[in-house]
Amino acid sequence: MTGERTFQKFKRLISKKAFLLWLDSLKKDYKLIGPRYYRGNQAVFKEVDSSKELFMEYESAMLSPGKLFLYKPQEELFRFTFNETSNPPSPPFSKRGMGGFSSKKITVDEIKPDMAKQVIVGVHPCDVNAILYLDRTFLGAFKDPHYEARRKNTLIISLNCTHVGGNCFCSSVGAGPFLHSVGGYDVLLTDFESEYLVEIKSREAEELFGLEGRGAGRDEMRFKAEKEKAMQGKFRKTLNVSGLDNIFAENMEHPVWQQTAEEKCLSCSNCVMVCPTCFCYDLRDEMSMNLKTVTRYRCFDACLDIRFAEVHGGNFRQSRAARLRQFVAHKLDQTNQYGVFGTVGCGRCITWCPTGIDLTEIAEELRTKN
Amino acid sequence: MSHELSTMNPLKPLRAKVDDVKIEAEGVKTYTLSTEFPFLAEPGQFNMIGYPGVGEAPISLSAIVNDGSFKHTIKSVGRVTDFLKDFKKGDELFFRGPYGRSWPVKKAEKKDVLIIAGGVGLAPLRPVIQIVLKRREAFGEVSLIYGARNEKNMLFMDEFKIWEKDISLYITVDEVSDVSKSPHPPFTKGGRGGINIGLVTDLIDGMKIKPERAIAFVCGPEIMMRFICRGLIMHGMSQSSLYVSLERRMKCGIAQCGHCQHSGLFVCQDGPVFSYKEVCGLPDGVL
Ligand SMILES: Cc1cc2nc3c(=O)[nH]c(=O)nc-3n(C[C@H](O)[C@H](O)[C@H](O)COP(=O)(O)OP(=O)(O)OC[C@H]3O[C@@H](n4cnc5c(N)ncnc54)[C@H](O)[C@@H]3O)c2cc1C
Ligand code: SF4
Ligand code: FES
Repeated sequence: MTGERTFQKFKRLISKKAFLLWLDSLKKDYKLIGPRYYRGNQAVFKEVDSSKELFMEYESAMLSPGKLFLYKPQEELFRFTFNETSNPPSPPFSKRGMGGFSSKKITVDEIKPDMAKQVIVGVHPCDVNAILYLDRTFLGAFKDPHYEARRKNTLIISLNCTHVGGNCFCSSVGAGPFLHSVGGYDVLLTDFESEYLVEIKSREAEELFGLEGRGAGRDEMRFKAEKEKAMQGKFRKTLNVSGLDNIFAENMEHPVWQQTAEEKCLSCSNCVMVCPTCFCYDLRDEMSMNLKTVTRYRCFDACLDIRFAEVHGGNFRQSRAARLRQFVAHKLDQTNQYGVFGTVGCGRCITWCPTGIDLTEIAEELRTKN
Repeated sequence: MSHELSTMNPLKPLRAKVDDVKIEAEGVKTYTLSTEFPFLAEPGQFNMIGYPGVGEAPISLSAIVNDGSFKHTIKSVGRVTDFLKDFKKGDELFFRGPYGRSWPVKKAEKKDVLIIAGGVGLAPLRPVIQIVLKRREAFGEVSLIYGARNEKNMLFMDEFKIWEKDISLYITVDEVSDVSKSPHPPFTKGGRGGINIGLVTDLIDGMKIKPERAIAFVCGPEIMMRFICRGLIMHGMSQSSLYVSLERRMKCGIAQCGHCQHSGLFVCQDGPVFSYKEVCGLPDGVL
């Protein structure tokens, strides 16, 4: 489990070559997952056979590792089996079958969590913060056993950013470009040209890490701080967060919602799907073709979908403007929910919106044109 | 280093046996259920009720839990609720819960209690009425103000006679379909103890309320709750002495699936019962 300890065990400078060899050595006990080249500066997080396949210089990945390998797009939760004499429900549901709905003849199997051990390398600071956000949802008062199992069996090796993407604004919300979270990772890497500055954070990583390297002292940490400062200067996109909650509260009927929704938003939900902190899901039942088993699974769902907030006799977010506002407000306002912003500034919703909707521009419009 | 897991899946449904089914009103039935597990719940809480292959829906407890036996009063309006309407004694269904924040009944002690409901909204308030009847001396004046489209849509009418002995009943319908066939004779017209024609809000306008010692529990369509709360505030009641129970789409009931989110609140966990102060004026609601 990552993030449970706050002590900094040790800091070393390790040649990149030696570090990657160490990663390969983990493969006998762990699935190795990391960024693989996709195109341009884009990577895709995937399981790799060797560290040679890693593209550590990537700028961004469409889907965050947290929502691929910890909280899965789709997850089977239960299997219900109807035996010979029980009636599976069949449409139309109002027609009663023979013999009553005696669920005694239905067995319920809980799908056991996947306990495979995995290491995810190259997780950018924004995505580490996004994992900490998902922890609030899935490790809260009610714990999700699948998420919990993966979280406990996953070693997270974060990598401080060396490229600022055109839509990145993590520095505005304190989620990057260098990692400052108290937990959420086991190892933190900073690119020092031919070496990595390796900061070991968890006991598990400490026990696994056999490399000596050179000890990193005050000079190296100063060098790291300079690198961070240089990175801070490279952001082209920013978000002024001061007083955002009031700005939202006062502008719920601002024309920007209606205009953006009507002129641009397709309700396609791309923004939600690529968002590393969007946690919403749907629960669905799927009947097997022979009508003997039902699988209850969950899958990502999106507040941009028209049915998302629909109830009998009404829909709380019938208009597209209301749904777009819910998405943006959940990222930039509504901090009463978890005490933190819902955005980590990764900019994915901007990058992948087919019509170029930009939540930082919406926020700016709310601030300046009211 | 293998890590032990601390949890069983909180979404796992449990079996409940249908011990009794009672027709309550048009399209509404009350199911008395029991389960092999110990079951306790507070008034205002809900269960997710469902069946494999059909799905789940949030349904309030419509009575105080009696030695593990619990009740749900369900109106069939969609996938799950339509499926349940054919269930008979001896059948089994699945549930999980209870979830959510309950009515602050303790806070209502020594106060004048206004219980205000519209339609099926009386179901989650019946446990409150039952507690009041059980410990009548703990509360001040207690009134039930209940409205429905017509008397065919009215819940728990056969219990009104008993309730009336200890609390004041104000009943109203939008229209009377056929008073003579009403299962609750005699329905006199107007005022306390009889049936009125008009809106719940009209009844409230005519009531004498001592705002400093009153507390209100309100459940019904959101638009109705809006007018009731505003009406009570006109009577001098404060926002924090008004409680409402909100309905939102719910899939998980455990603050994970996000469907019930209302601004930053999870209605399933932070509600469904809220003080009016907490939810008044929030976007995407009408309160
Ligand atoms: C806390 C709480 C307590 C409740 N307590 C009670 C109670 O005690 N008694 C009671 O009768 N009800 C109660 N309800 C209301 C009940 O949960 C809803 O009526 C619920 O929607 C019924 O589920 P269903 O599957 O039967 O209906 P659904 O199939 O969900 O249908 C309900 C409506 O939703 C829409 N809808 C749903 N899915 C889709 C879709 N895929 N596409 C398009 N439209 C769709 C339709 O407009 C439909 O009319 C409560 C609700 C909450 C939140
Ligand atoms: S990606 Fe863009 S167009 Fe699609 S739902 Fe999100 S904001 Fe609307
Ligand atoms: S019902 Fe899923 S979060 Fe409330």
